[in-house]
Amino acid sequence: MSVTTPITPLIATLWLLNVIIDTVGQLAFKAAAGDEAAGDGLVRWIYMARRPWIWIGIGSYVVEFLIWIAFLSLLPLSEAILLGSINIVAIMVAGHFLFGEKLTRLRLSGILLVTLGVAIVGAVG
Amino acid sequence: MKRGTFYLLGFALLMLFDSVGAISFKYAGDHALPVEASVAWLLRIFTHPWVYGAVIGYVGAFFTWMTLLKHAPIGPAFAASHLEVVSVMLLSVWLFNEHLTLGRVLGALAILAGIVCLGFAESYEHVPDPEEVDSATRR
Repeated sequence: MSVTTPITPLIATLWLLNVIIDTVGQLAFKAAAGDEAAGDGLVRWIYMARRPWIWIGIGSYVVEFLIWIAFLSLLPLSEAILLGSINIVAIMVAGHFLFGEKLTRLRLSGILLVTLGVAIVGAVG
Repeated sequence: MKRGTFYLLGFALLMLFDSVGAISFKYAGDHALPVEASVAWLLRIFTHPWVYGAVIGYVGAFFTWMTLLKHAPIGPAFAASHLEVVSVMLLSVWLFNEHLTLGRVLGALAILAGIVCLGFAESYEHVPDPEEVDSATRR
């Protein structure tokens, strides 16, 4: 029965790359947008464009776009979209370590539940 | 427009754009198989119309999200913005003849419960910046 697709090394690599690059991109955008020295309006955009963060963010999005297409083409969409939910977790955990964002009890429960869900889909298909 | 109608329409539109995006990504990828790190693969992707559906889905979702965030509280907005996981899963059964396996249903339920937790976390545990308090009292 070919209802589920085995997770090949290529699929696992694309999944991992997608999580890493998405997290890097989001954090880069956060670093660009959260810089209080940037000022307002057009000045802010020029300030951001002269620093690497926003470009790292945009570059990450372009690469992630392609990786996501490749990933989706190798798995059933219903499975792939669930596996992709891990990005929510990765970004929250990274935000905690890099920006000191608090992991409250509710956030931790949410993170654990999403991780559990992704693990079930990854293990059973 | 009543506030409730505005949210409902907004979130429905967001879910629609997200679903269109995901389905277009899938079609674009399927048409470009086999996956390879080559110019040929990139050409197969960008010469097929579905990839532009993916772009439309992303851009549409982005602007809908930004409009919603202007008015909607972040917690429910965050949770609702991830509900496309479910709509996409159901649509794939219909469009791609996929199966709702037990693993997927259980996984989706756990993920959904997690997203709801995170939504509540943003609503009740979120400590607003002075700026946000300022704009909230002004409203």
